Amino acid sequence: MNTALIGELIRLRYKLLWAKTRSRNGRIALFLAGYLLLVMLIALLATGGFGAAIIAVRSGKAENIARGTLTVLFLEAVLAANILGFGMSAIFSETELRRYPLTAADRRLARHLTGILDPFWFLFLALQLGLMVGLYVLGAGSFWFGLLAVLLLFAANYLLARVVSLFIDLLMQRKGGGAILMVLIMTLAIGPSAIAPVLEKNPAIVTALVHRLHYTPPFGAAAAILHPGLEGVYGLATIIVWIFGLAALLVWLEKRPPQRQVAESVKIEWDSPFDRVGALFGPQMGPFVGHWLRFYGRNSRTRTLCLISLPLLAFLTFQMGQRMGPHSLLVAALGTIPMATFLGTSRISVNQFGYVGGAFRRYFLLPTDPAATLRAASYAAVTIGGSLLPVALLAWIVLVPYPFDVRMPAMLLCTGLTGLFVLNALGIWVTLFNPRKGNYDSSFGNDLSLGGNILLIGGMLVSLFLPRLIHKFQPALVSPESWWMYLPLPALALAFYLATLKSAGPLFVARREKLLAVVEGRN
Amino acid sequence: MDAIRTTNLVKKYGQKLAVENLSLAVRAGTMFGFLGPNGSGKSTTIGCMTGLLDATSGEIELLGQPFNADNAAIKRRIGVMPETLGLFEPLYAHEFLAFVARMFGLDEATTRKRVTELLAALELTDTSKTLSEYSTGMRKRVAFAAAVIHSPEVLFLDEPFESIDPAGVSLMKQWLRRFTEQGRTVFITSHVLETVERVCQEVAIVTRPGKLVWQGDITALANDGAVVCNGQEFRALEPLFLHLTGERYADLKWL
Repeated sequence: MNTALIGELIRLRYKLLWAKTRSRNGRIALFLAGYLLLVMLIALLATGGFGAAIIAVRSGKAENIARGTLTVLFLEAVLAANILGFGMSAIFSETELRRYPLTAADRRLARHLTGILDPFWFLFLALQLGLMVGLYVLGAGSFWFGLLAVLLLFAANYLLARVVSLFIDLLMQRKGGGAILMVLIMTLAIGPSAIAPVLEKNPAIVTALVHRLHYTPPFGAAAAILHPGLEGVYGLATIIVWIFGLAALLVWLEKRPPQRQVAESVKIEWDSPFDRVGALFGPQMGPFVGHWLRFYGRNSRTRTLCLISLPLLAFLTFQMGQRMGPHSLLVAALGTIPMATFLGTSRISVNQFGYVGGAFRRYFLLPTDPAATLRAASYAAVTIGGSLLPVALLAWIVLVPYPFDVRMPAMLLCTGLTGLFVLNALGIWVTLFNPRKGNYDSSFGNDLSLGGNILLIGGMLVSLFLPRLIHKFQPALVSPESWWMYLPLPALALAFYLATLKSAGPLFVARREKLLAVVEGRN
Repeated sequence: MDAIRTTNLVKKYGQKLAVENLSLAVRAGTMFGFLGPNGSGKSTTIGCMTGLLDATSGEIELLGQPFNADNAAIKRRIGVMPETLGLFEPLYAHEFLAFVARMFGLDEATTRKRVTELLAALELTDTSKTLSEYSTGMRKRVAFAAAVIHSPEVLFLDEPFESIDPAGVSLMKQWLRRFTEQGRTVFITSHVLETVERVCQEVAIVTRPGKLVWQGDITALANDGAVVCNGQEFRALEPLFLHLTGERYADLKWL
């Protein structure tokens, strides 16, 4: 194994991270988001983990709380890595690494070491270490066993996230893979709620289930942290077996040749649905919108996000819609429905030109108002996002255990349209002022700019918690009786969207050289 | 009539000068070579001439009319093959060409006909591959097809012959000759001086930073004649180019 060269590559990864500080924007982003926030967050999370340990020991249920906390963290890391793409962007691809004198095993190790040394994973490590140290300080755990368990759990967590990503990638490459993925996610999202009543009535099943969970890495880690003896060794061994199993699965998945979705054919298909939908925007904008619809529609990440956004947000609606009075689910859905219109297209909506590379030049060679491309790209995002709204409303009507009340879907339609227009308008501003060069084909990694992340994550947080806050202070505002108050919201949002399109046009033309430099990677 | 004319064209990136007071005139119906060492502002000049970049100062005229980035009517009459090709990678060749054709105002029937013909002529018939899967040479052919699909009156080609196989180069040269015979204009940048020597009637040579050092007729070179510059006679473009640009190459003993 060429450890010296692998070490050089890891050093290079951090040098490249540091190199971003050479530009003013990079300095600000890295300083604010990178270091200050990261250090604060790590400290906070470590304290949080420590706090969980205190609660665990004081409640006398140390083992159960440690198991629960570690399991939730374990699953959250996998979900966050796969949905938001954090911590999955190894800076070096296999193709890049092939330039260097490294064996296949060295390349694999270098890729995954650069992947696991991502700051995202450190956040989860901080939480887990906080819990472990807390249990140790309060006399409920062993330091060395605990440390070893947390580090092994950390490795297992990364490997599982990678395996899940590759599995999703593999599914999406197959015809009908999207549908299978959707069924899987729906099962995961709705399954727990569906089986919860069964479990409540049958404690024996719960006991058997918990017993099975002993064979999972979080339970193994909890055992090792709390029981330094034979039970701890058994816990560590459980995690090690998982690590070997996941590593073998990962190697097998990585070695699989990519599947071709398109059959070899020489027949040209002219009538595509993209062009037909685009034609609805008139002869001038039609080809342009069709082009952008194709651009969104062919992006595997956009397709995946569109597919998983509805079940995911349905899950969040049911999870968040508790203890908020008789219309808890409505309050939660007032926030989740707007996200359903934006989450799927968000990656490109907040960075419209970040994935076109040098082709960005072409927009300025076309005999049209250059700003038309900005508008067309946004129309495409609004069309795709808007098309999910009726599906979301239908799902609401079918799934929610409320008597049908037309005021509720009306309120949801209003917030959905409001979210659609406001978030897409804000996406245009981020596109113009904080673009970032990204890789259109990448399935892993969060390649959004700081502004893009703020809009996406901030938008999600605001959507999820604003209705809750309103319910707390002005519950009447989120009850069906106030349905009429929601009617002007889409009109106001549409006005904001149209004003954004109008004012962003000249700015787009004026900023085109800066945008070009960014999307071509010359910034 | 001049198809292309620039007067005191200046382009700066911040404080960095990329094109320095470039005044150039290209007659209609000419195959014009625009030569210079790497980093001498050739692509920047084409960028300004085609509306991609805003000139810092100076004037540009295309087909006898003042031109700027917003002049859609003129853009409809020119074709451009940028150095970076500017292809939309996830598209298939026919989708990309159809998009370009429609944007340049071709109707659907003409678009389909021309796309099919161009793909066949340029041997781009493997429609199972997206542009990202094409080889460099094939991508170049697609970019060339996109530049000519609307039968432009002026064609800007930035490094058109690089990475294309000899048969492809021969076909392109044949098309370009016919193009100029019809009174249309071709503006080419290239580092392949032998090809420029054979296909171009006139060349301009720029040196860093985008400063014009020579413009003249080179038709004599194709007929075994010579070009006179600064009192010296040059029988090929390469010595003339090296003489004017002052390019020197370091001699590394260990290499």
